[in-house]
Amino acid sequence: MQCKSCNTELPKKAKVCPKCGKIVNEKSSGNLKVIAVFGLVIAMIASMLPFVQNTSEIKDAYSFMNIDMPIMWYLFILAIVVSACLLVARKDMLSIISTLAAAAVFVVSFVGFDFRHYSKRNKFTIVRLMDLIQNGSGEDSYAIGFGVIVMAIGIIMAVAGVFIDVMKYFKKDLKVDARYLSNSINKSIWTKIWYHKGFYIMFVPVVIFIVLFYYWPMLGCRYAFSQFRIADPFYVGVKHFVQMFTSDMFFWNSFRNTLFLSIIKLVLNTGAAVIISLLLHEIVNIWFKKTVQTIIYLPHFMSWVVIASVFRMILDPNPSGVVNSLLLQWGVVDEPIMFLSDVKYWQGTFFVMNIWKDTGWGTILFLATLSGISPDLYEAAQIDGANRWKRLLYITLPALANTIITVFILNLAKVMNLFESVFVTSTPGTIEVSEVLQTYVYSKTFSTSMSDYGYSTAVGLFKSIVGMILVLGCNYLSKKVRGRGIV
Amino acid sequence: MDNQIVMNKKKKKFKIFPIVNAVMFIIISFLIIFPMWKVVVDSLDAQAAYGFRWVPMKFSFGGYESIISRKALYGPFVISVITTIIGTFLGLLLSTLGAYTLIQWEMPGRNFFAYMLLFTMIFDGGMIPKFLVISDLGLYDTLWAVILPMAIDVYNLVLMRNFFEGIPESLFEAAQIDGCSPMGIFFRIVLPLSKAALASIGLMFAVKFWNDYTNFKLYIVNNDLWNFQLRLRAMVMESDVPDESAVDPNTITNAAVIVAILPFTVIYPFCQNYFVQGVNVGAVKE
Repeated sequence: MQCKSCNTELPKKAKVCPKCGKIVNEKSSGNLKVIAVFGLVIAMIASMLPFVQNTSEIKDAYSFMNIDMPIMWYLFILAIVVSACLLVARKDMLSIISTLAAAAVFVVSFVGFDFRHYSKRNKFTIVRLMDLIQNGSGEDSYAIGFGVIVMAIGIIMAVAGVFIDVMKYFKKDLKVDARYLSNSINKSIWTKIWYHKGFYIMFVPVVIFIVLFYYWPMLGCRYAFSQFRIADPFYVGVKHFVQMFTSDMFFWNSFRNTLFLSIIKLVLNTGAAVIISLLLHEIVNIWFKKTVQTIIYLPHFMSWVVIASVFRMILDPNPSGVVNSLLLQWGVVDEPIMFLSDVKYWQGTFFVMNIWKDTGWGTILFLATLSGISPDLYEAAQIDGANRWKRLLYITLPALANTIITVFILNLAKVMNLFESVFVTSTPGTIEVSEVLQTYVYSKTFSTSMSDYGYSTAVGLFKSIVGMILVLGCNYLSKKVRGRGIV
Repeated sequence: MDNQIVMNKKKKKFKIFPIVNAVMFIIISFLIIFPMWKVVVDSLDAQAAYGFRWVPMKFSFGGYESIISRKALYGPFVISVITTIIGTFLGLLLSTLGAYTLIQWEMPGRNFFAYMLLFTMIFDGGMIPKFLVISDLGLYDTLWAVILPMAIDVYNLVLMRNFFEGIPESLFEAAQIDGCSPMGIFFRIVLPLSKAALASIGLMFAVKFWNDYTNFKLYIVNNDLWNFQLRLRAMVMESDVPDESAVDPNTITNAAVIVAILPFTVIYPFCQNYFVQGVNVGAVKE
């Protein structure tokens, strides 16, 4: 066989021409089938939604969570994960098989297995879903739950999505990395695996940690669909979500606070960092600049506990608090301001603390970009008669724009993770403005006795899903703006 | 830089901007140092908690002495040091191993491993499932509950990979040709060449472990296993200062704040470049 572009004789099974780097068989590598991946995710979520539900009250429902043989759920998840892996590995057709296997597991468990109906913890009766749909239970009538419909949609999307390649419309010219040019790419896969055996062993500890502390907790999402007080969770369908969205004021309040606090914080911090770095860049004296940098980076290394402690002490309403005593002395206020325990002032204080802590650290990236701007540009502008303001507007800011957007996107993805800073600075009196989703989960679980882990998991799951949407959105934006993703 | 050019060309025209700018930065630095200075002064003053003064009124090392002498105070400090050292070591080990595997572009399954790591940055199980997992593993209320989950940090792992990618490919090839095993390459070439990366990421891990509050709060109930941050928090919030008649409790609290920030305040001016490098590598390269 010969390479089409440079006519070199190719080795057997060669995928890439060793001389010119052209891919020999273009079809061998495809795109990620995004729709199929979405279908798998939908099917995965559907496996936790009700298969059969009471027509009058949604909380009486059955799904994999109360199947008599939980192994079926694990089989289902396994099949879905295998499909996802095959998709990622570009073995699209094979992934159809495991997706269909997942569907088969689903049908078998639906028809063939017993489900438990819990009346209380540990007290349950065995029911068969087919009986339930036909005859109902007592006076209640049952129907097929929306989980089945969602599942069907998911599986169909996963199978159909394999044949549809949406990514090709976004695809640019495939560039071959120089490191693919070495000859080992053209060896067989088993040779390569044997050659890399040492690396697999080295990766084992990382895999163990990742699975234990990231993937195992992900399976814990199923508790969001169950009632779980101390022990023995049992399935209650989407009751928690219904309750959360319709009747939990505190939940919506904390969701709003999360978005408000973190987005305003992000804007203020980024803005302050940009201004500080622009001004810092103007300083000529190296020694002075280095000293200022050292000082303004300093608060970044303090924990939130330290910052909360320091600010608590200086903002104390008693005469020992510096700020209040100064304000009183100058006659600005008549009585001490409760900066940290008054609903009116808490948000402002929180933003000030954030700016104090992170502005300096935020300037690092901007300063790196600024020092990369060629001095020639400024010189040329100066000769053309541009003043300081014009130079800022036409040279510095356009050069900085990309970095600003980068920083913004990187941080926007973390918006939902607000926890420690709020947790240590808020006081019981400021709950109204300071409760964010994470602190809500915390107080719901650990501050009350007989707390329902199921409900707080549901709130956490909502947070994770919103966070995921944000990360993927930011990733997409990042690809558009700067040509590569953040994850 | 351009200021100098201007100066030379326009024959020392008086410029107001640089002076205003410098004054502004002096004020900013003052605003950042001021709260810390107040804490330092209070920690050295036998009578803390009386407004603001530039130097201690009644100078004493009482606060620091009670931190050194009382077990309730130096115990948490020791716990902090232990978790920081073990955690940083473990974190560096996992990051370097993972990162070294991720730069093996020809390794079958490399992409799978990369996606597996990246997915954890997109979706997480949440606080409660993680808490239940920690309980199921029997780690609850032991120091491992704090060290192990934080030792695997995907962001730092990717950062380490970015550093490793800066190592010239030809070095690996040369070592391979000379018959060096992957492990050998790792220890003889990758690690010695990435001292800066190790310092940078090691410092990030150390800061994270030293400042950890959330994990301790979630997984540790035993008072004897509290770290310094938790102890400090209890001192400030519940005025839970171990009683010592000679010294004002406020002085001890202030001294505790200083002890909590001291390690990195002392270390970091010397390693500022490593920190800065870490931040830049994280955002500028892929």
